[in-house]
Amino acid sequence: MAEMQTTKDPGHSILEVNSLVKYFDVVERGIFQKKKVGDVHAIDNVSFRISGGETLGLVGESGCGKTTTGKVILYLEKPTSGSILFEGMDVVETFENGHQSDRKVLRRRMQMVFQNPYNSLDPRMTVYDIVSEAFAIHRNIPKSQWTDRVYELLRMVNLEEYHAERYPHEFSGGQRQRIAIARALAVDPKFVILDEPVSSLDVSIRAQILNLLIDLQRDEHLSYLYISHDLSSVRQISQRVAVMYLGEIVELARADQIFDKPLHPYTQALISAVPVPDVDHKATRIILPGEVPSPINPPQACRFHPRCPYATDICRQIAPRFEDKLIDGHFVACHHADKFV
Amino acid sequence: MTDYQTLSTHDFVNEWAHRLPEKLLEISNLRTYFFTEAGVVKALDGMSLEVNKGQAVGLVGESGSGKSVTAQSVLRIVPRPGRIVDGSIRFEGEELLSKSDDEMRKLRGPKMAIVFQDPTTSLNPVLTVERQLTDILMLHRDLTKEAASKKALSLLEHVGIQEPEKRLKAYPHELSGGMKQRIAIARALSCEPMLLFADEPTTNLDVTIQAQVLELLKQLQKELNMTMVMITHDMGIIADMTERVTVLYAGKVMEVADTSTLFHSPKHPYTEALLKAVPSVKQTRTLEVIPGNIPNLIEPPSGCVFHPRCKYAKDICMRQEPPLEKVEEGHFVACHLWRELKLEGRG
Amino acid sequence: MVAYPPRSYLSLYEGDAGTPPSFNHPFGVEDSGIDVFSETVDSTRNDLYVGLTATLITTLIGVAVGALAGYFKGIVSDVLLGITQVFFVIPVLLLILLFARVFSVLVFKGLGLTLIVLILAFFGWSGIAFIVRGETFKLKEMEFVQAARSLGAGSYRLLFRHIVPNILSPVIVIATLNIAGFILTEVVVSFLGFGDPNTSTWGLLLNEGFPYVRTAWWVSLFPGLAVVFCVLGFNLMGDGLSDALNPRLRE
Repeated sequence: MAEMQTTKDPGHSILEVNSLVKYFDVVERGIFQKKKVGDVHAIDNVSFRISGGETLGLVGESGCGKTTTGKVILYLEKPTSGSILFEGMDVVETFENGHQSDRKVLRRRMQMVFQNPYNSLDPRMTVYDIVSEAFAIHRNIPKSQWTDRVYELLRMVNLEEYHAERYPHEFSGGQRQRIAIARALAVDPKFVILDEPVSSLDVSIRAQILNLLIDLQRDEHLSYLYISHDLSSVRQISQRVAVMYLGEIVELARADQIFDKPLHPYTQALISAVPVPDVDHKATRIILPGEVPSPINPPQACRFHPRCPYATDICRQIAPRFEDKLIDGHFVACHHADKFV
Repeated sequence: MTDYQTLSTHDFVNEWAHRLPEKLLEISNLRTYFFTEAGVVKALDGMSLEVNKGQAVGLVGESGSGKSVTAQSVLRIVPRPGRIVDGSIRFEGEELLSKSDDEMRKLRGPKMAIVFQDPTTSLNPVLTVERQLTDILMLHRDLTKEAASKKALSLLEHVGIQEPEKRLKAYPHELSGGMKQRIAIARALSCEPMLLFADEPTTNLDVTIQAQVLELLKQLQKELNMTMVMITHDMGIIADMTERVTVLYAGKVMEVADTSTLFHSPKHPYTEALLKAVPSVKQTRTLEVIPGNIPNLIEPPSGCVFHPRCKYAKDICMRQEPPLEKVEEGHFVACHLWRELKLEGRG
Repeated sequence: MVAYPPRSYLSLYEGDAGTPPSFNHPFGVEDSGIDVFSETVDSTRNDLYVGLTATLITTLIGVAVGALAGYFKGIVSDVLLGITQVFFVIPVLLLILLFARVFSVLVFKGLGLTLIVLILAFFGWSGIAFIVRGETFKLKEMEFVQAARSLGAGSYRLLFRHIVPNILSPVIVIATLNIAGFILTEVVVSFLGFGDPNTSTWGLLLNEGFPYVRTAWWVSLFPGLAVVFCVLGFNLMGDGLSDALNPRLRE
């Protein structure tokens, strides 16, 4: 797949991901040695940009590579190849060969809120410890100010000061997620990766957290990468959306373009499949045959062709280019995209 | 001292008696409590539900609402330390709560079945797919092994599984989530039950697989003229799959109505709030937040159980539990203020 | 009732030698004139010494090796794992017996028990190491550890502030059960005659009482009961701790 064509968007990109690849080894263990028998193509040639103050939604089903993308951007997993530029800094270089001080800067400017609020907080630490750990690691605030700053952060996420003394298990899922957000904000990041932050929460709580995230973005001028399989919440919070399938981005456009006029057959099926809370909406579901294939041996050429209702010979032989030859700013990887414009 | 009235079966009887469809399931004033070390969890506290033959009914609520416990109570599979302490469950006119375990066992499968949320745990990991199905068929339908295997094969075909002969010999862990759930559905339907509970059947599945499974359930329900109770927290699924819906919150019924009535003109603040808090793929709107948290079921709030989070709450809401009142034919709500409030629906 | 001092005090009660339990000698007297009651009581401190010290050392080593083996990937992990596996299969009891024979000189110099403790400590840590390694694997992938990494925490902080405190629960339970296990090992060693004849332990008493089990049964019975209650006590404590420590974590 070709790299992303340069877009017309000038807005200072805060994050630039180019041709990112991540393969995991499939290994057979013998008694004395391990043998590599294959690759899991978790991410294959992914490129996108995020501007300051913007939210890019990253959607896809299980195995598409969206969570891995988030982890690789933060260098929690080493990329196999490709580049990640954050505010101009080469992330991979910095983590592999750079100074510790530069690495610490990256760790402060780029943060993550994890999916499972029941696992993402250390059960043996108080809320105060959890939120202030950032200060302990980066030593950017004198100890005398820690308590004030912790209280300030708790207030920002609509929690109370007295919550600081408590342990995670004393809180509900929604509250724990707020603590996780406070922790991410403790380092004053510019960019936060949100990995399914509301998926394990109750419906009535989701709106609280989503609205909180939107408010914080506005107040603190943050950029988000919002990773989720819940398309409804993605629409709520994202300005642009990228759709992933089997490790590749198949479509990337503005949220309204993606949701109202999707060009890629997979995106079309995906969006039509989401139940709409509206009785007057007639669901014309596009049902895809078969299962989501495994990323260990992805199909040749266009990875979606085995399940695509419009697949033709060219789809089975040549991988489609990812480009926006049809509509400005709307990128698709499909040989037949012009049919849907 | 709260003074609560419960929905009497008379209301429902008068409601529906003149209509032709017969009542298949009639739950009145059901109370299922869990007796834990921390206290008594009132999972269901005076819940009533009516399902007619052939209907697709929705039971919507969040965690702690009691929706799963309802299905468990009807099938009498409430796990310890839970127990049904009060109320009545009539199925085909017979009172289930006075039946013995043996009698209930004869009903589970041939008369009523349930599809659970997580197929990984609801399928036996050490049995092949074939065994999962044939065991039940041989038990309830008295078939020979060969006949049962044949039936199992046709069941798999029926639920849309490709290469069913291969899948029969497979073990659950070799299959994908979507396939496992189809097998769970096949198992539930194997004895052609009259009543099917689907407890969050697609929550753990990917979006496109969810669509497959929901379409399958829709199709099967029509084909077999089966009565289905769809238990979910997803208002989208409710809108798409059900004709009538009951809204549960903290073990109590908040509102009961035809699905389109519920969406267009809800009468309960919780329903209105839910509709406003749920995002949609079809449009970007400002989500309205429901403040607060799901209440503690050991010490639920006094009076109306929703009052701490209700933006319309008045004094009476704190003191008295609202009875389930009739708004119009087929539409019931448990709220003191429903006559005064002008609530917004969707669409 | 008079208190009769144990063998370390070299005063023997020849007049009462070989008598069954009586008011003056509640557990009876051995043929050699040693008072069983005071012996049994004195043995308690020696046996506990073996159990507690060996447990302390093996736990420290086991946690260190296990955590490092579980946390780091590659050569470090493989090597540590290999060492642990080798040590795991070594029959500790036989080694103790062997060493006791070979170093009988030291034994007679009164270092017998310490020798046992050292051998137990040196070879007995592999069980804990395995468990710790497994738990560390699990914890390493847990999101709160990932979160600390994303905050910039280094390996030291991750290991000692996040991982180790969260593996303490199973470790404490196993350590408690190990105390009982090590005491039992000592009993076997001394019973077989490889222990230190100058330090009173329950095993030694059992050894001395063995030839007279039918006649002077009191020499075997009471120390035996002491072992039973001690081991039972630690096992129950381990059980209780396991219940007490787990639910909180699970929340």
